[in-house]
Amino acid sequence: MRIRPIERRDIDELQALAWQTGVGFTSLPDNRDFLAAKIEHAVSAFEERSAIDDRLYFFVLEDDVNGELAGCCAIEAQVGREVPFYNYRLGTLAHSSVQLDLHRTIDTLFLSSDHTGDAEVCSLYLRPEYRRDRNGALLSKARWLFIAEFRDRFPDKVLAEMRGRFDENGTSAFWECLGSHFFPMNFNEADRLTGLGQKSFIGELMPKFPIYTPFLSEEARACIGAVHEHTRPALEMLKQEGLRWEGYIDIFDGGPTVEAYIDDVRAVRDSASYPVEIVDEASSVERPTWLVATANISDFRSAWIGRGPSADGVLTLTVDEARRLGVAAGDRLRLLET
Amino acid sequence: MLVVRPVQPRDLPALERLAGSATPRLTNLPAHRDRLEERIARSTRALAREVDFPDDEAYTFVLEDLDLGEVVGTASIRAQAGAMDAYYTYRQETLIHASQQLNVRREVQTLSLSHETSETTLLCALSLDARYKGTSAESLLRRARLMFIAQYPERFASILAVAFPGYLDAQGESPFWNSVGRHFFARGFQEINLLAGVRSKSFIAEVMPQFPLYLPLLTPQARAAIGREHPDHEGALEEMLGEGFVRSRHVDIFDGGPVVRGERDRLQSVRQASWHPVRLRPGNVLPDAEPALIANQQLGDFRCLVARYALSPTGQLMLTPEHAELLGVEEGRAVLAAPLALPTVLDEFDEGET
Repeated sequence: MRIRPIERRDIDELQALAWQTGVGFTSLPDNRDFLAAKIEHAVSAFEERSAIDDRLYFFVLEDDVNGELAGCCAIEAQVGREVPFYNYRLGTLAHSSVQLDLHRTIDTLFLSSDHTGDAEVCSLYLRPEYRRDRNGALLSKARWLFIAEFRDRFPDKVLAEMRGRFDENGTSAFWECLGSHFFPMNFNEADRLTGLGQKSFIGELMPKFPIYTPFLSEEARACIGAVHEHTRPALEMLKQEGLRWEGYIDIFDGGPTVEAYIDDVRAVRDSASYPVEIVDEASSVERPTWLVATANISDFRSAWIGRGPSADGVLTLTVDEARRLGVAAGDRLRLLET
Repeated sequence: MLVVRPVQPRDLPALERLAGSATPRLTNLPAHRDRLEERIARSTRALAREVDFPDDEAYTFVLEDLDLGEVVGTASIRAQAGAMDAYYTYRQETLIHASQQLNVRREVQTLSLSHETSETTLLCALSLDARYKGTSAESLLRRARLMFIAQYPERFASILAVAFPGYLDAQGESPFWNSVGRHFFARGFQEINLLAGVRSKSFIAEVMPQFPLYLPLLTPQARAAIGREHPDHEGALEEMLGEGFVRSRHVDIFDGGPVVRGERDRLQSVRQASWHPVRLRPGNVLPDAEPALIANQQLGDFRCLVARYALSPTGQLMLTPEHAELLGVEEGRAVLAAPLALPTVLDEFDEGET
């Protein structure tokens, strides 16, 4: 299995993935034209033809045995540059009066575009049949190696938006209580339009004034900062890297936006570059522990390898591993033990 | 015989009784002896003061039943609703959220805290003994204030406002408060209302949420209470609409009750009021005539009563000696008179459309 940049020939398989992801996976709508445009956007990013603040690095996880796509993930270099990027910030207002013997704090949602210009890790999807052998971790963490390797292409901060809580009928109590009053459509439709990048309607229809959360139903309040149960492992993985919830939530489903300074992300901080040597055979551990990535942006590859660096700081790869990564002896790889 | 006159220190027990019997309890008439004493002192000061433009004066009047020798009603005027502090209301506003991309246009109703009513003259704190409800005594008490204002325009703003008590359910609960204020104070409506009366309302309003509230997020019961008067005040509201007051976009911040506003010089009682020299006539020879509000022109000894609007061919107002004495006028002195009857106005408020 390996991570590589998406290519134009991936369109059919990408659409199949999009179809599989279903509702709530905003960034991957089942729309061929849209996906083709997305691929073009990514291709120009990896070829470094587009402006540094307008890049989408879209990766696929490829089964190098049969050539199938097993999943995808992406990094948006800077959000909010073309269209506004909205969040609610959960803030606290004190309502206090000594004379009234009153001191209460009121949780309040403030519409914010505070994350404008931050990088976003997004679009992570892994087909169910590939949910094994740490493929999920590969998809999630390869992006940190990419960012670490090409650090100057990225801003100070990075964020990830997590899917919010839905009930067994796929209904978001947060949406029902808040968004539905302002958007004349159902959640899926609003989500679909957002995925298509047609976000201007959000700014036009959203309530601009802060929302005092006591006005929301108990169920809706419970959605604030809560994730979909399927999203919990992905959230855990991001938390391990040091991303935290700082009170920002999705305006539609209330799901948390987690964030960190890129230089503080564990994988960025702890990964390092090593020269490669190639051998016919080498021992491998059972459970993958060492994640590597190449230093070439347009031919970026990332995969697990079977062993760590030697005492003198050399990475020994098998012929298979080297082929999978497209590296030759003497090339350098960025390595993360995880 | 009934007469409206400025409050006197000796009226304190009566004021206490009236404050305690007002339904619902009025924020600006707390049954609190110290506050009521202050109220009386403040009114006396206001009447003694030379005034060129309205400031923090508050005038309190009482309705006295001379046959019983009892004070049976009270009502006040605040020259400026928020002279020393701000007078808070919620202003109903409509925001249009439109998206060309989606071809939709939505109107979203909000309530925004407003101080706009602060500079108006406020008619307030009216409480009447239940025995007189629905009689001309009620109109006399309510509108004697307009007869006062008509004579001393320099003491009042050109816009008058009246805040009517808002809707309460059978349990005395305010659905508006329960959906709005309670979140921020964790206290019941009656408790906060009492507190507001004894301290001051603006003092509490300062702790109210400062950002506008989106109506769709309020309970349906709270939305229905916006601009809806307390059932016991329907008649009063109707009368003031007949006077020429109109419903405004403003509602009370505690109970959502309506605030009506009127241009002083366009109100019926002010427009129709005219001066007439007095001619004394015994009651049994007075010609039959429609009732009128009749007031003297003595600031500190202001009197207003209801009598027949009996005019002589030369425009003199014929009064019985008893009425003249009550008003403190002799033959030949001028009094201000305005018909008691008001045109009926359809209250176009539809509670379905807040």
